[in-house]
Amino acid sequence: MAGHWDQAVTFRTKLLLICSLTVTGAIALDTGAASLATRTAFEKVDGQRRLALLNQFEREMKVRGAEVLAAVQRAAASDAVLRIAAEANRVDPDFASFYNSAQAVAQNTGLDFLDVTRRDLTILSSAHWPVRFGYRNDWANCTPCNSSAAFLARIPMPDGTTAVALAAIRAAGDVLVIGARRLDLAFLKSLGEAPGVRAVLWFSPQEVFDSNGPLRNPAMLEPMAARTMHDGRQSARIGDEAFIAVPLQQRGRTVGVLLAGSSLREQLSLERAILWIGVGVGASGILLGVLLGWWTTEKITRPVEQLALGARAVAAGDWAARVDVASHDEIGELAQAFNRMTGQLLEQRERALQAERVAAWRELARRLAHELKNPLFPLQITVENLQRARTARPEQFEEIFHESTATLLDELKNLRAIIGRFSEFAAMPLPHFERTDVNEIVRSVMKLYAPQITSANIDTVLELYSGELTIEADPEQLRRALGNLVLNAIDAMKHGGTLAVRIRNHLEGWARIEVSDTGEGLTQEEHQRLFTPYYTTKQRGTGLGLAIVQSVISDHHGKITVESEPGKGATFFLDLPATQSSGERV
Amino acid sequence: MRRTRFRWIAAVSAVLLLNAAVDAARRPRYGGELRIETRAAVYSADPAEPAADPAEQALKTALLCQVFETLVRVDGRGQLEPWLATQWTHEPVRKRWIFSARTGVLLHNGSVWEPPDGIVPAPDNKPITGILRDLSRLVSAIVIRGPDGALAGTGPFRIARWDSGKMARLEAHEEYWQGRPYLDAVEVRMVPALRERLLDLDVAKTDVAEVQVTDLRHLRQQGFVVELSQPTDVLALLFENSRIPIATREALSLAIDRASIYRVLLDRQGDISGALLPQWLSGYAFLFRTERDLPRAKTLSQGAPRLVFDYDREDPLIRSIAERIAVNASEAGLTLRNGGGACDVRLRRLPLMSRNAEQALEDYAGMLGISLPMLSSPYEAERALLKDFRVIPLFHLPVAYALRANVRNWTTISHLDDVWLDTGTKP
Repeated sequence: MAGHWDQAVTFRTKLLLICSLTVTGAIALDTGAASLATRTAFEKVDGQRRLALLNQFEREMKVRGAEVLAAVQRAAASDAVLRIAAEANRVDPDFASFYNSAQAVAQNTGLDFLDVTRRDLTILSSAHWPVRFGYRNDWANCTPCNSSAAFLARIPMPDGTTAVALAAIRAAGDVLVIGARRLDLAFLKSLGEAPGVRAVLWFSPQEVFDSNGPLRNPAMLEPMAARTMHDGRQSARIGDEAFIAVPLQQRGRTVGVLLAGSSLREQLSLERAILWIGVGVGASGILLGVLLGWWTTEKITRPVEQLALGARAVAAGDWAARVDVASHDEIGELAQAFNRMTGQLLEQRERALQAERVAAWRELARRLAHELKNPLFPLQITVENLQRARTARPEQFEEIFHESTATLLDELKNLRAIIGRFSEFAAMPLPHFERTDVNEIVRSVMKLYAPQITSANIDTVLELYSGELTIEADPEQLRRALGNLVLNAIDAMKHGGTLAVRIRNHLEGWARIEVSDTGEGLTQEEHQRLFTPYYTTKQRGTGLGLAIVQSVISDHHGKITVESEPGKGATFFLDLPATQSSGERV
Repeated sequence: MRRTRFRWIAAVSAVLLLNAAVDAARRPRYGGELRIETRAAVYSADPAEPAADPAEQALKTALLCQVFETLVRVDGRGQLEPWLATQWTHEPVRKRWIFSARTGVLLHNGSVWEPPDGIVPAPDNKPITGILRDLSRLVSAIVIRGPDGALAGTGPFRIARWDSGKMARLEAHEEYWQGRPYLDAVEVRMVPALRERLLDLDVAKTDVAEVQVTDLRHLRQQGFVVELSQPTDVLALLFENSRIPIATREALSLAIDRASIYRVLLDRQGDISGALLPQWLSGYAFLFRTERDLPRAKTLSQGAPRLVFDYDREDPLIRSIAERIAVNASEAGLTLRNGGGACDVRLRRLPLMSRNAEQALEDYAGMLGISLPMLSSPYEAERALLKDFRVIPLFHLPVAYALRANVRNWTTISHLDDVWLDTGTKP
């Protein structure tokens, strides 16, 4: 993976990425820090606001509780209640006489709810539900009941709903006066006057009172309310509000929950703004970073790229490649060192080529001397024999003359052949490149040598390329090179075998022709000297065949290699490029 | 001796004179216009047109029976007596009854009432008691329709002005065959709001105002005279949804604490009753159960559906009683929720429109939309009517009127011919 990264991504890209990531990272850190600081500050302020609301609720409850208590005291001291108390004590009280009394007393004392009851809480007169006379008051929740401080009460109403009120109890003789004032929306609104803050009284999913008006979705507060009623004070965020919830106690029982909520909209809005600003700044920073990075890396990476291009050119064989870097820094020094290196390599190559040429000429002269020496010696012997025969054996001179002239002619013919092959090798023309179908070349060569292959009892395996494989090549020279390899293979399998010719596209932009035989194979020495001109393992051979093949392949800017082991045959690999003109591979 | 005799004669004379003065003061006087305000409203003055609801029908009957008279009428004891007909005979051949018309009866338009041949025939299609009951109803009253649509009757009052649903002005029929009534005129204003009627009474805008029984205490304290009729109106629960199970209906009947309602809400006015006809009329009302049985009600109410309950919310007494019934029902496990329009059970106040038991039962059956079984006695008919608890009578309520002090001889609105105004007394 890392290797693939190194291959696929340029130095400039890496540099740009690093610059961009640095900028992005810095901005992200800054944005995160700003966002965190904002959130912390808001949470602190909101927490204080909610606590203030709770404290205000407690204060208001105390104030209202005192008011309710005073009103209940006034009701208990009123003439109407005293009359009720007196009437209730009679043997056969006239209940009808005070049926409506509680309503009048409640009106006069400003109470929303008033029950006048016996000590056992049996209702004698009720203000808000008059027809409940004779039934037991079920919202005072006291046993036994006496005068009490203000407490929270949930009062059943005739329409089936429940009202929440602040209540108090006062005794008036043998009766109890239980009065209450409703905790209405106005009371809640007075608690939550600050914008974004509200108070919610929760008693059940159906009895929820919100200072902001009817709750759209009271069910969303239910889990928190239930936890508060069970476990006590809670804090939580619900939607875009943060709540503190405290249980409301009545005589040791939890009857409801007060939730103080503050809106997080501003905070969220600010956080979003910070985020978007961060994104915007980050994007701008990235863009700026990219531009700066591009300009910067242009200064750094271009020389490096030029160095890389130069190195690639050298690797491709262009030892004359130069890197043109004008800077005076380390990159400039590197470029100069590169240029010096390639210059030296070029000189060395020239010297090596020169030495090779000299060596080749020497080898050629040696081979030529060796080749020529062989037929010249019989020529000399034959002429000497003729001279001796003319003088020593004139009667056999005619016969000796015919034999000797025949020998002379044979050797002269041999000489001509040797010289002809040298001429041919020396006068090999430069290839004329054209689009050539590799499959067609191979087919034509195999067809040409088919009779010889058949007569040598050799099987053939021909694996052409499945599609179209064309290269820029000189078809004649290629046929000649391939023909030489086929002939060598035939010569190597004196007792038959298998000749396989395969065409592959094993590298992009290259074609490979494999020629393999199942002959004797090559020794190590043979392997090393295989392509040396005039080196041959045949009794009758010039040793130029593979040299010609190598020369052709070299002129085609290709490569020839061989794999072989003694007794296991040999395989020649001809790797040819697809194009010749631009030097780039297809 | 003579001085003592003279003193005795003087004393006796003084006493006689005083008595004569008192008698003179108590003697009815002719003249005056009586103003009455009622709760119900009557829209049509035509006896042949039935009223929309029982309260209207009751008032209409009470008023118009004094304008349009019938051949036969129900007396104070609930018996049928001849009225515009003097006698009746049966003609078996022609299968009809012949009613002989009373002579010398003048109509409001001044003409003499003279049916053809001096008789009024009636088909012989039911027992005579049934025919007589039918003929005693307002719908069978003798009405002469003029070419201009004016209606003329034979009663002690004639219609002088009729504002549908608002006011009716009746003037004395000078030539009434039973003798002119005391009052010159009666103006009946139909004022549904109790508060308004009480206010009008207080400021002397009216002489008589129909009031609630629960206002009696307060009105007497203010010095008004309050007259109560016998308990006539029956307050009952009627199940309008016939699919409500009988067990549920019975549960509701057993759940209601009539005693508490009677003692507190009704201020012990009227009677607790389990029957449609009041005790004073039928004599057997006490045989119908009225006691509360909460445990049995709870047992019967298991699985009962919620009931939609409707009542007249404009009437504070009815409203209070209905709310109390709902509380009683909830104690037994029954849920009554308020609803208007189509409902399961409705609290209704049904007026008694006849003192004849059979006729009254027929009237109730008609009001309730229930067919009355043809049984031998009113008791059996009423028991059959009530046995499935489709109707649950609760109370019999009197009709109460508050009077100003100068109104004399008031009994009910259906006997205006006996009423007179004492001009010597400050109203």
